Amino acid sequence: MNVLTIAANSLRRYLRDRTAMFFVIVLPVLVVVIVGSTVTGFDRFHVGLVVEGDGARTDELVAALSASPALSVTRLSTAKLAGDAVRRSEQSAAVIIPADYDDRIAAGETTEVGLMGERTSNAFIATQVAVQSVVARQAAVVQAARFAAAEAGGSFTEQLDRAHRLAGATASVGVTSAAVNRGGSMLPEGFSYSAPTMLVLFVFINALAGGAAIIESRRLGMYERIAATPASRRAIIGGETLTYLALALLQSVIIVVLAATLFGVDWGSPVAATLLIAVWALVGTGAGVLSGTVFRTPEQASSVGPPIGIVAGMLGGCMWPLEIVPSAMRTIGHVLPHAWAVDAWTILLSRNGGITDIAPQLGILAGYAAVLLTVATLRLRRHLVV
Amino acid sequence: MSRAVHERSRTVPPALLIAGKDLRLRFRDRSAIMLGFVAPIAIATVMSFAFKSSENFHMTVAVVDADGSTLGKALVQALRSDELEDVITVRTAADETTAAKQVRDGDVAAGLVIPDGFTASMTGNDPVSLRVLTNVDTPLAGQVTQSIAAAFAAQIDADRLSVTTAIDGGATAGGSTLGDLVARAARERLPISVTDRSTGARPLKAVSYFAPAMGIFFLFFAISFTARGWFLEAREGTLQRMAAATSLRQILIGKALSVFVYGAASLTTMAVVTTVVFGADWGGVGPAAVLIGAMVFAVVCLTALVIAVARTERQAEGLAAIVVFGLALLGGNFVFVSSAPPLLRKLALFTPNGWAIRGFVDLATGPHTMAAVWQPLAGIMAFSAVVMALTAGLSKRMVLP
Repeated sequence: MNVLTIAANSLRRYLRDRTAMFFVIVLPVLVVVIVGSTVTGFDRFHVGLVVEGDGARTDELVAALSASPALSVTRLSTAKLAGDAVRRSEQSAAVIIPADYDDRIAAGETTEVGLMGERTSNAFIATQVAVQSVVARQAAVVQAARFAAAEAGGSFTEQLDRAHRLAGATASVGVTSAAVNRGGSMLPEGFSYSAPTMLVLFVFINALAGGAAIIESRRLGMYERIAATPASRRAIIGGETLTYLALALLQSVIIVVLAATLFGVDWGSPVAATLLIAVWALVGTGAGVLSGTVFRTPEQASSVGPPIGIVAGMLGGCMWPLEIVPSAMRTIGHVLPHAWAVDAWTILLSRNGGITDIAPQLGILAGYAAVLLTVATLRLRRHLVV
Repeated sequence: MSRAVHERSRTVPPALLIAGKDLRLRFRDRSAIMLGFVAPIAIATVMSFAFKSSENFHMTVAVVDADGSTLGKALVQALRSDELEDVITVRTAADETTAAKQVRDGDVAAGLVIPDGFTASMTGNDPVSLRVLTNVDTPLAGQVTQSIAAAFAAQIDADRLSVTTAIDGGATAGGSTLGDLVARAARERLPISVTDRSTGARPLKAVSYFAPAMGIFFLFFAISFTARGWFLEAREGTLQRMAAATSLRQILIGKALSVFVYGAASLTTMAVVTTVVFGADWGGVGPAAVLIGAMVFAVVCLTALVIAVARTERQAEGLAAIVVFGLALLGGNFVFVSSAPPLLRKLALFTPNGWAIRGFVDLATGPHTMAAVWQPLAGIMAFSAVVMALTAGLSKRMVLP
């Protein structure tokens, strides 16, 4: 029996297992969708809006807030609901337009728009300034109308119409924004963030959990049976390794294709991406075969493997960008291969990098793969009674 | 059976004996200890360190005042105001090139350039724009700087619009000169302001979210090893031997009890450790105990369902894995589900863990009262009731001793 036959048999056995298929296909897709849709919206802030009264000025403010490109507005019926939504972080902030808003403006008094939010949160601060700028535009028109009514006479309403008309025609003081750098050191938001990081996470987790199959084979005496054929020890090890590599590659291809077709993820330079996927699949293979020799029972591999994979993913920047963690945590993260893989994806996706740009990361990952595969092979040889 | 054990088995209900035996096995099993106690605490530790620096927002902004006149100085002063002190530190830069370099190097989070002739341009109809320099890695800082500049520009715009509207309305015909109007308009203040309204809530610390979330995620693994254990015992004849000595009812109660005690011990340990070590807020003893109890009960029901559906050890393991990861993903154990789109937030409320996490978030941000837990409790119990009904419906096909 040669390497390919052994690998093909193992692979067939694996693919028949519906649980394994859940982990290889369904789970990664589910995770890409969920993480992708939560790691978004940093450019648009979610704001709850409570309108306690009515009137023309109130309507104008509601329309202006809804039209703001920085805000995504959801109407809420009471301040209590708005408070709940804010503290649960469903909304970054909530705007409350008071019942006497129109009356106070018409009476020439100052008025206040309420803003609820967690004052120390990033999203709230950004939302606050975005809301302030919308309110300031309406306030400018009201101020102008009052000023004109005082200086030139006429009613407030009449001057308000004039101010509205002129506001459109008067050149305003602009604020332009320019980025000083193009490529970021974080992955883009949304699915472009979740797809590559989840590829890194799940290929590894699956490989660790998949170690259970090797233990099961050991327990069932499969290796002894294969050894009874003219297959060499090298062929058995090669076959098992090839199975894991094929599974890791299969899972990667599924994630890449689904993310590209369903969510429009751009995987960057095809050659560099393919190479990175292949090297990562080798890292996963090494980890998987190793887990098949380290754990004693299949239960251990399938129960302890995923938590180890999750912790490694967290430390390595698969769950959140390592840019946001303290530098010591970032250094610890780079002890794991995950961080190097995520770094490489960042260079490919955020900076349009190519093979040469990710060569250092590829080299380091190849090193991890070599070490893991060597240790795994040596341990597997010891376990094979041939 | 020794005499003492035999005596005890006559006085202690068989269900308790079975639960005691299961628990002894469970606490001797290193995988169970790892999943129930070590892993969740390890992950909560990682998360608590990871989010340590992101809970308070502060940024340094490089400001170039090439204008040097009235409005330029006023803007710099506004940036240094007490109001913005907690958010912004201003660092002056000599020119735009220096500021851009500082932004690019990450020395400052963003830059603001007040161009030469900014004040002077306000009298004409072609006002000079303020320029914000941003770094793609710190988009939030760029946005905040831009909004502050925009707020300042809004006041200038309001004053300019006031003068224009007054002139258009015939103010100069009444004797006022342009200079008078500009001077008077500059004294105006925007009549509508945005003020803070308290939610009465405390800020949600990352660890207060992720400690229960991770505790519950690992609690789910009890489904897997209990269900597997059932089929293992069926295969080895242990269940049959128990069935010969007592009723099926006692066996089921005993099994359920052991899952409940193990689960409650695991989540309670997580609550105590994360509260003492990382300052996580689980919402006080009473409310937290109710949510923990309800959540563990839901896990007991799910375990029964998996046992009822599966036919073999392998199937039980697979089904449990699907239940664990499916619920954990939908319920928000991995991601902060509150920030997710409304559809995902609604889906989370079809899971017991989604309800439990919402309850813990409410407790961590609001008052530690039982009022905060009734709704989540109802949600978890409704889920458990559905699961129990399904299990009852499937109990005929259950692999029984």
